[in-house]
Amino acid sequence: MNKAETKNILVYIEVADAAPVKVSLESLAQAKRMADEKGEKVIAAVIGQNIGDAAKEAAAAGADKVIAVDDAAFADFNLDVTADVMMQIIEKEKPEAVFVGGTQDGKDLAPKLGAKCATGCASDVVGMKLDEQGNIDFTCPLYSGTVLEDVVIAEARPQIATLRSGAFKKLEEAGQGEVVAESFTVADDAVKAKITETVKELTESVNLEDAEIIVSGGRGMGSADNFKLVQELADLLGGVVGATRPAIEDGWVPRNHQVGQSGKIVAPKLYIACGISGATQHLSGITGSDYIVAINKDEDAPIFSVANIGIVGNALKVLPVMIEEVKKIQAQ
Amino acid sequence: MNILVCIKQVPDDSVEVGIGADGKPAIDSITKVVNAFDTYALEMAARYKEALGDDSEITVLCVGPDEAKNSLKNCLAVGGNTAYLASDAAFSGSDPSGVAVIIKDAIAKLEEDKGAFDLIFTGKEATDAALGQTGIYLAEQLNTGVITNVIAIDVKDGKAVAKQETDEGYRMVESDTPVVLTVSKPDYDPRYPTIKNKMAARKKPIEGFDASILADPSLVGDAGAKVVAIKTYEPPKKEAGVKVQEESDEDSALKAIGMMVEAKVLG
Repeated sequence: MNKAETKNILVYIEVADAAPVKVSLESLAQAKRMADEKGEKVIAAVIGQNIGDAAKEAAAAGADKVIAVDDAAFADFNLDVTADVMMQIIEKEKPEAVFVGGTQDGKDLAPKLGAKCATGCASDVVGMKLDEQGNIDFTCPLYSGTVLEDVVIAEARPQIATLRSGAFKKLEEAGQGEVVAESFTVADDAVKAKITETVKELTESVNLEDAEIIVSGGRGMGSADNFKLVQELADLLGGVVGATRPAIEDGWVPRNHQVGQSGKIVAPKLYIACGISGATQHLSGITGSDYIVAINKDEDAPIFSVANIGIVGNALKVLPVMIEEVKKIQAQ
Repeated sequence: MNILVCIKQVPDDSVEVGIGADGKPAIDSITKVVNAFDTYALEMAARYKEALGDDSEITVLCVGPDEAKNSLKNCLAVGGNTAYLASDAAFSGSDPSGVAVIIKDAIAKLEEDKGAFDLIFTGKEATDAALGQTGIYLAEQLNTGVITNVIAIDVKDGKAVAKQETDEGYRMVESDTPVVLTVSKPDYDPRYPTIKNKMAARKKPIEGFDASILADPSLVGDAGAKVVAIKTYEPPKKEAGVKVQEESDEDSALKAIGMMVEAKVLG
């Protein structure tokens, strides 16, 4: 796409249960910040079935214009279909940048669009600013976030990026954009991979990204039975249970509780890590937390390097006391 | 089945990477290994081949420096039949779109001898940059389907049928072959090489490709990269707080709760 012809930022809005997912609203907010700085507009694309309310929500969350593509044919996400519709929108709108929330499907969609547009894609963006040439300078984590890299997509357009959940704040009452209904058709031969069945195995939904309090357990909890202490404290505090990969691989807790590089990146107000030593893959997922309390037997455990309070001790002994104390505080 | 597995050599991800004196990530002294997700891809391919029990062949391809031959040797000991290294100074600095171009052109070369590949496996992402883009760019450039986050694979009536892991469960996804499959962690671990397989792998040749395979050299390397790195740096370190270690764990718990109340993080 010819750089000189492009302007405005297009944001793909992913919809779940008839509402935009949180990272899509965060992406919209960040798009507005960047567009305002350049004197440009934000266009949102909402694709699916019965997405009227989601489109309205996007219009109030930072978009100047929302393209609502409401069609039974697009009811379920299919990478090829969504990419084809997005390409038709991109060709029409000629955006300077395309932001996609870094969900599983978003992380597939962004490079798919990148390849179709013969442009580049910044992944898992945690920060951004405009450079002197007006390009977006994207900050991306490398090596589980122990190193950050700033990248630009200097010449190719659009500049495509997936944004990390929780890295950007969403806007409340950002304004009132217009919603425009548009329809698109996708040719059969554009769809190379078809989803024949969607199965929800994990019925309990776990919203780690939005949680204000997370109590997580790792291998140090020792067994599924001991892990119940983590659950008890989380329930007591009105929080969500998190876990490290070893705790999940040992079957103590379902995999949708995983926090870290290959699980969810979280940013709660309080994160309590129980029996977690703190592998970089886990730490990279929790450093956005406001306050971290860690319980671990090993005083040299890396988790203590990020903890506000580091309790050197046996989580199995510390947790029951904490649970009783929290009950006392709550009774007051 | 004619199977290709694309791998990347990365620094051992259990070692924390920082910034070196030259301002770049200090990875030289870290042991290089096959990217974990690529080892899952190879294991999935090897198990599929064994289930077929026919004369299916697994070719392993790596784009990387000369030292990546070690990683390819390791792959030959755990299921790979032949291994190829695409390596050239001109490849250095390639972004995922550039790496995909190199793989695409290497595939064209390999297919001259081996015939068309049916299944092209790779990891869902590499543990170093975790971009998760190369497989998707490759599929687009090959004009094939792509199925990501695969945890099981079968081929029925000429169609690849893959189980795609999702946050809440899975999707069954179907595509004509050839297809690019990017593999997540299945519920099994990659095999360890036997000593016999290790010895045999050591003797096998690793053939190489250089920039002469490229149909359009302008698409790869630093010059072809759409994404340009400006600088790398360490994030500001979160300051470690207070350690609590009293006479007993119970006392430590009480003290910590007191501190949490004081910091107003409880209730």
